[in-house]
Amino acid sequence: MSPVVIVGLVVALAIFFDFTNGFHDTANAMATPIATGALKPRTAVAIASVMNLVGALLSTSVATMISVGMVNDPGSLKPEIVFAGLTGAILWNLTTWFLGLPSSSSHALFGGLIGAVAAAAGLGAINFDAIAQKIFYPALFAPIVAGLAAWLATRIAYVITKRATDDEVSTGRGRFRYGQVFSSSLVALAHGTNDAQKTMGVITLVLVAGGLQADGGKVQLWVVLAAALAIALGTFSGGWRIIRTMGKGLSEVKPAQGLAAEVATAATILASSKLGFALSTTQVASGSIIGSGLGRAGGKVRWNKAGQVVLGWLFTLPAAAIVGAISVVIVSTGPAGIIIDAIVTIGVIVAIFQISRRNAVTHHTVSSEIEEASEVVETKRQRKAAAKSGKANK
Amino acid sequence: MFTPIAWNNLFSVGFAALVATALVVILFSLGVRLSVNADHHKAQAVAGDAKALRTEAFNRAVAYALFALSFGAVVFGVLLIIPGVIPGIK
Repeated sequence: MSPVVIVGLVVALAIFFDFTNGFHDTANAMATPIATGALKPRTAVAIASVMNLVGALLSTSVATMISVGMVNDPGSLKPEIVFAGLTGAILWNLTTWFLGLPSSSSHALFGGLIGAVAAAAGLGAINFDAIAQKIFYPALFAPIVAGLAAWLATRIAYVITKRATDDEVSTGRGRFRYGQVFSSSLVALAHGTNDAQKTMGVITLVLVAGGLQADGGKVQLWVVLAAALAIALGTFSGGWRIIRTMGKGLSEVKPAQGLAAEVATAATILASSKLGFALSTTQVASGSIIGSGLGRAGGKVRWNKAGQVVLGWLFTLPAAAIVGAISVVIVSTGPAGIIIDAIVTIGVIVAIFQISRRNAVTHHTVSSEIEEASEVVETKRQRKAAAKSGKANK
Repeated sequence: MFTPIAWNNLFSVGFAALVATALVVILFSLGVRLSVNADHHKAQAVAGDAKALRTEAFNRAVAYALFALSFGAVVFGVLLIIPGVIPGIK
């Protein structure tokens, strides 16, 4: 099969992956402002879409890290391997989404690529140093930093606005809603800078592997524009589905807490993007929402729920790597293998979308990981309510 | 297989995230606090109390200045990540 055809397939799949990323992550950027009433859902989705587009155009450090950093000699790779890695990532991502398992699109992408390259060219082909410094360590570090920053900022906001009568009206804490218009837009912008660049990196990698681009260090303008538009369109389309359901699980997030969490998320992602760290934006946002929950008086961690969230984070990369490795075994059999892999991937995509369209859209079928992370922290009010209902049951 | 952690880069991200978040939230929270102060003096100011009028105007002006500063800090932070926009920052 001609390399140009495979490169074309990879570009189309990568753009599709980017679209689903925007589709899925609208909830992460806009969950808290919609929940606190800072923004009307339609406005929030429109803002998120535009900000993702702008963010995607700001920097290419993360894209360059993927196109030249992850693999020791990108020029020696076959485009089929990138194709297999990408199909592995998409299959893992959609399956976990369909089954409602916590997962990260970014880690699925990295896992799929790493698994495919390792299975096809051996472990020596992978640049473990770059992966450790730019993906693995930041993945462990960034959610903690974001959580710490959000915890600190929430404490500061509550201390500064404290009054003798500590309710929302006399403290004016409801006014943090107006700030959330900017902070949530900033999260969407930060999301665009980091997540859209992953697609740019994969497309550049396959262009180098296919011999259509000599140097992986430069991302072509059409690649930047295509990735930016795909993530913005995905955000816009995903939003219409999400706005019907979102915010119900976040009723405990107060405006001051929401602003602190969003600023912490955006600051962590933007600083990371500058240094070329490819993060899971969902994990950073989850870290922030947990930190801000603990920053409020009486917030306590539900450790079993926290364990579930962290387990999902740890599981994604190796699981997607295995799927990527299986994909590369199929693809390595020749053109028939590539066709089978493509048919399986497209079949799964179509089947999952058909099934999901038949299912009613409810809070349970369309929710964000941020809502899940918010359940990790139990507030004083929730504990009182649980104690009261326990007494009533007795 | 894995090399030691490059702590410099991680600390840079941690420091930038903590300082930027704290700065923006401090400025905005002070703005909220002062705007509430201004509201508390509003009734007296409307009734013609000159001191309350001055206090209300001062609190509101500083509150808006603080909101503007926090917005400015965010914009500056975003500009920092675009290569070449701020002189001396690659």
